[in-house]
Amino acid sequence: MPYDAMSERADEELLAAYARGDAAAARALTQRLAPRVLAHAYRMLGGDRAEAEDVTQEALLRLWKAAPEWRPGEARVTTWLYRVTANLCIDRMRKRKRIGTDIDAVPEVADAAPSVAEQMQQRARAEALQGALDALPDRQKQAVILRHIEGLSNPEIAEIMDIGARAVESLTARGKRALEAVLAGRRAELGYEDDD
Amino acid sequence: MDDAGLEGLFAAARDDAPVPSGDFMARLTEQALAEMPVAGAQVPEPRPGLWAQLWPALGGWRGLSGLVTACAVGVWLGISPPAAMTTGLGLDDLWGRNADLGEMGVDPLSGFELALLEG
Repeated sequence: MPYDAMSERADEELLAAYARGDAAAARALTQRLAPRVLAHAYRMLGGDRAEAEDVTQEALLRLWKAAPEWRPGEARVTTWLYRVTANLCIDRMRKRKRIGTDIDAVPEVADAAPSVAEQMQQRARAEALQGALDALPDRQKQAVILRHIEGLSNPEIAEIMDIGARAVESLTARGKRALEAVLAGRRAELGYEDDD
Repeated sequence: MDDAGLEGLFAAARDDAPVPSGDFMARLTEQALAEMPVAGAQVPEPRPGLWAQLWPALGGWRGLSGLVTACAVGVWLGISPPAAMTTGLGLDDLWGRNADLGEMGVDPLSGFELALLEG
């Protein structure tokens, strides 16, 4: 089947085709899923790209191994992958905490030409948020990333985290309050005085 | 930091998503293809239950209806044998009508005792 036709097919359908030995399905699924897994791992791991790539490789490997036994309708592929990715990241974060790696370093915003300065400000905002996210408890961090950055719905997050929808609401609300508190003194530095 | 400010940071984080490099995607694709089951290989299906295995062994509906008919005929012959089976064929003794088992109706010499006598 041509690659273009693959874009219309559901992940579960492609995974079943992969399990039957369809190489085009393997390529389509990799193209579709790898960027999402990498982005989630990158945010969960405080912006460590090399480690996020390792996690992406491991999460996808687990998906390929699970493909022959996959039961249609039991779980969505993305839900399953987000869960596996988050678990792999949380394992690594706990190991890091045990060996005391510093992950809270946030660079200063430098002066530069307007367009470049704007880009740098966006980058500084993303990094400031990442630093604040890293200060949250693991589950709060995971819920806030899935809800406010990945844009998933509460029921989807509930399934990924294996908790109720109300627990998701509580985690995201507490997470947002904690972020607001951590970033409270940085409005001017992140360019919000000028925007208002 | 208020809600709007935080939303601005979330938007910045969304824009800052890492883009996988070509090399990395090539590695992932290679891994996917290496792990892929061979085309045409049978994906193991869940084992059928006991009844599902027994059903074809009995011959399906046709086999089972034959079995039920044979059982019903056997029961019917046992309860009410037709006259043709007992008359004219010398089968009266078989059905026990003329068998002489003495006044008590008990066989005086059982098969077990015969076996003992014969050593």
